[in-house]
Amino acid sequence: MVTVALDIDPAHAKPWIDAASPTHPSLIDTTHCTNDLFGFINVPMAVWIDENGVLVRPAEQASIERSPARDMQIPDGIPDRLKQMMTEVKSIPDDSAAYRAALLDWVRNGSASPYAMTPDEVVEASRPMSHDSSLAGACFAMGEHLNRTVGHDAAVPYWRRAHALDPDNWTYKRQAWTLVTTPEGATENDLMQGPNDVYSGNWLDDVLAAGGGSNYYVRAKLEPPK
Amino acid sequence: MIFSSLRVPASEFAATTGWEAKPQGMCRGEVCVPAPGALDSGVVNVEVAAERLGMPIVHDADHGVWSLGAAMAMGRTLATAVAQFPSSLIDAMGRGFDFASLRGRRIIMIAWASW
Repeated sequence: MVTVALDIDPAHAKPWIDAASPTHPSLIDTTHCTNDLFGFINVPMAVWIDENGVLVRPAEQASIERSPARDMQIPDGIPDRLKQMMTEVKSIPDDSAAYRAALLDWVRNGSASPYAMTPDEVVEASRPMSHDSSLAGACFAMGEHLNRTVGHDAAVPYWRRAHALDPDNWTYKRQAWTLVTTPEGATENDLMQGPNDVYSGNWLDDVLAAGGGSNYYVRAKLEPPK
Repeated sequence: MIFSSLRVPASEFAATTGWEAKPQGMCRGEVCVPAPGALDSGVVNVEVAAERLGMPIVHDADHGVWSLGAAMAMGRTLATAVAQFPSSLIDAMGRGFDFASLRGRRIIMIAWASW
């Protein structure tokens, strides 16, 4: 297993990595280049790569255990936005059991697993690359570069453009949002990513615009392809 | 993919984009896209290569940098199923990682984030 944190600031990912004390390679992608290379447009997503360095599954939602958030009771009396957020989180489809079973099958059986795709199938199943989605990547990368070398304000116009060009890319959005919604001095990035003065979007409104939590992820297609 | 010039060494273009300039064109894995004029004396003309590969270019004139989008030439995020391991990934201590150390093993690469 190799984990990749899509964090432009390694200091944001490091505490989580340190706390986990992983025995596997735990890497950080500060430029989100794995979006262009593999198609990671949300988290968690994963690709499977065989012993020869060939992908056998494209980027898909990757959970191997049911999140407790799905079974949480929504408390009475909480603010409406928070209630709506929790409702959408609970509506995100849970494929964890099926994904775990498929993964274990591939671990045990390798290329003989019905869940291992052929190279042509993997390419065909990967996300379509449109001019807008590619341009969004260029804009996000420009923003990341300027954020690092000039300052945050220089990045914002490019990140706004990236969000508009590729609204299905949640990594571009959430990475940018958290930088403005996280209070100064906070020890962890803000996960709520609510309305702010910098970007027109926020997590809840964008999720609702996309059709709700049921459309939030690129679901793994786990019907055996062979 | 950030460049400070539109004429870059072929090795730099390959390391940054994953596309190698060869006599038959711009290549990635087993896929090659004809790109006459992209390579000259070991230097890649970024504009020509980008045009042939369908890579949008964003230019920030104030700071003198260009950003290249992913190739659209194949219409999919993946031009090939051969994994392209980026050299830019670092560990929590800022050190690079050599994916060659995992050769011969099955890998699940999982993306997550602190946000």
